[in-house]
Amino acid sequence: MIRIVTLSPFDEGDIAFLSKTLYRSFGVGTENAGERSLPRKAEQPDGRFDALKLLEDASPVRAFADDKLLYLTDVELANPKGPLGEPPAWGHAVQGGDRALVSTFRFKPRGVTEASIEIYRRRLTRESIHFLGHLWDLHHCYDARCAMHPSWSPALPDDPEFELDAFCRDKSERRIRLAKT
Amino acid sequence: MIAVRTPGRRERTEKQEEVPSAGGTIASSSDLKAGDRVVYPKQGVYRVTGLEQKDIAGQRLEFVKMTREENGASVLVPLGKVATIGLRRVASADDIEGVFHYLGATYDDPELDWKVRHRDNVERLIAGGVLGVAEVVKGLHSLSRLRPLPAKERELYDSSRHLLVNEISVSLDVPDVIAEDYIDYALMPPAGVKLPLKPPPTPVELKGPPWKRKKPAASEDDDDLGLAELGIDLRAIEGAGAGEAEESEESEEGEEKKPAGEDEEDEGVPVKAAAVKAPPPAKPAKPAPPVKAPPPAKKAAPPPAKKPAAPAKKAAPPPAKKTAAPAKKPAPPPKKKAPPAKKPAKGKKK
Ligand SMILES: [Zn+2]
Ligand SMILES: [Zn+2]
Repeated sequence: MIRIVTLSPFDEGDIAFLSKTLYRSFGVGTENAGERSLPRKAEQPDGRFDALKLLEDASPVRAFADDKLLYLTDVELANPKGPLGEPPAWGHAVQGGDRALVSTFRFKPRGVTEASIEIYRRRLTRESIHFLGHLWDLHHCYDARCAMHPSWSPALPDDPEFELDAFCRDKSERRIRLAKT
Repeated sequence: MIAVRTPGRRERTEKQEEVPSAGGTIASSSDLKAGDRVVYPKQGVYRVTGLEQKDIAGQRLEFVKMTREENGASVLVPLGKVATIGLRRVASADDIEGVFHYLGATYDDPELDWKVRHRDNVERLIAGGVLGVAEVVKGLHSLSRLRPLPAKERELYDSSRHLLVNEISVSLDVPDVIAEDYIDYALMPPAGVKLPLKPPPTPVELKGPPWKRKKPAASEDDDDLGLAELGIDLRAIEGAGAGEAEESEESEEGEEKKPAGEDEEDEGVPVKAAAVKAPPPAKPAKPAPPVKAPPPAKKAAPPPAKKPAAPAKKAAPPPAKKTAAPAKKPAPPPKKKAPPAKKPAKGKKK
């Protein structure tokens, strides 16, 4: 079961779209676990939130052994700086673990038109699939049409696909099956 | 942008040491102590837990016991085998920095012959240190820009990525997902980002296993000779590649695989004693049987070719190039410092 936890107000229609699509992608049931407060301790002096800390400090929700928690927020996230710089943080996840985080901060504004909302929902779904994919041990994928392609890649179009490609889908299915046994 | 020598090429002689290249191979079991973190080629990061004695087939044998950090699986490596399986220290932060400069460099000439590529990649994973793993990831990544990878290489791409992520994560003490972001930040930086790149380190020159080194001596014309031999060698090599690529997923704790053991001397340790969880020795796909078996008969032949690596590339048959170069991987420099100790529990599920 994937349990969606919001750390700021989200539109119900957006969450419904996300739940439906996650089920289609992973074949795993999804539940909206409601809103929790944003862990303020993760806020940095520059106003951004430390992605690692935020995910670590986010309040737990009641969950069972194989459950995956997907936290959604709209605050700007920060990654630890690497040897070549700081990769843009669209979210975070514990590889092979049970907690993932997605921030909508870098999305195109949701807007009010049907078209802009549709694009926003698709992106929310894509990033959720990406970070949930890490929970099932998926690595990044070179195929820009796959949700496991890095979120900041210059190869990604404005409105990227949100499905997994065949390789990543097969791998995630194997992991999910394995986890069930 | 800085150009990087393509993994397809082997003429790696000139020095370009702005950032250090990988090393750290463990030469003897006496270099190991409990708590050390080591990389077992193609398997991942292990922590040495201590020495253990076991009676096997009437012999009392001493083993180094190691636990795989990722899943807690244990393996026993006979003391005498430590030097030959290619165990090495986890890359230092300096080594890792070199990896990123390597990943970020331009790369425009992927090896197009998949047989050559696959064999080289397997060899890099075994003996190339952390930079060898990066070479495989970068090489296949570049190739994927041209066309989708065939299934087997797609698997290899994923498993090498896994190894690289793991080692970077341990060395820099960051979560795997962040380590992977660092890798891709170098491989495909966001639009408008200019990476602060230094000249990349030079990958180690690989020795190559015996079936490649033992070449017919009459190398007046390497290309022709190589071609004549192609059928034979390639079959062995393909088998190797195929076997290796698949093994990396399936028999993860298999200690029998003897990655770098092909050129070891017989140390009198029974093969079967090598590991507790070992799969049956001598996989059918293996070209060079792990420990004691003599080199394949077809290679009864002559000493290594003396010519230096010929620059001729694509057209030349695979073995000609590399075998030509004598094995001369320099002794790895001593490690500057131990990798930072990291809390063992990473919140992993399995
Ligand atoms: Zn990712
Ligand atoms: Zn994919």
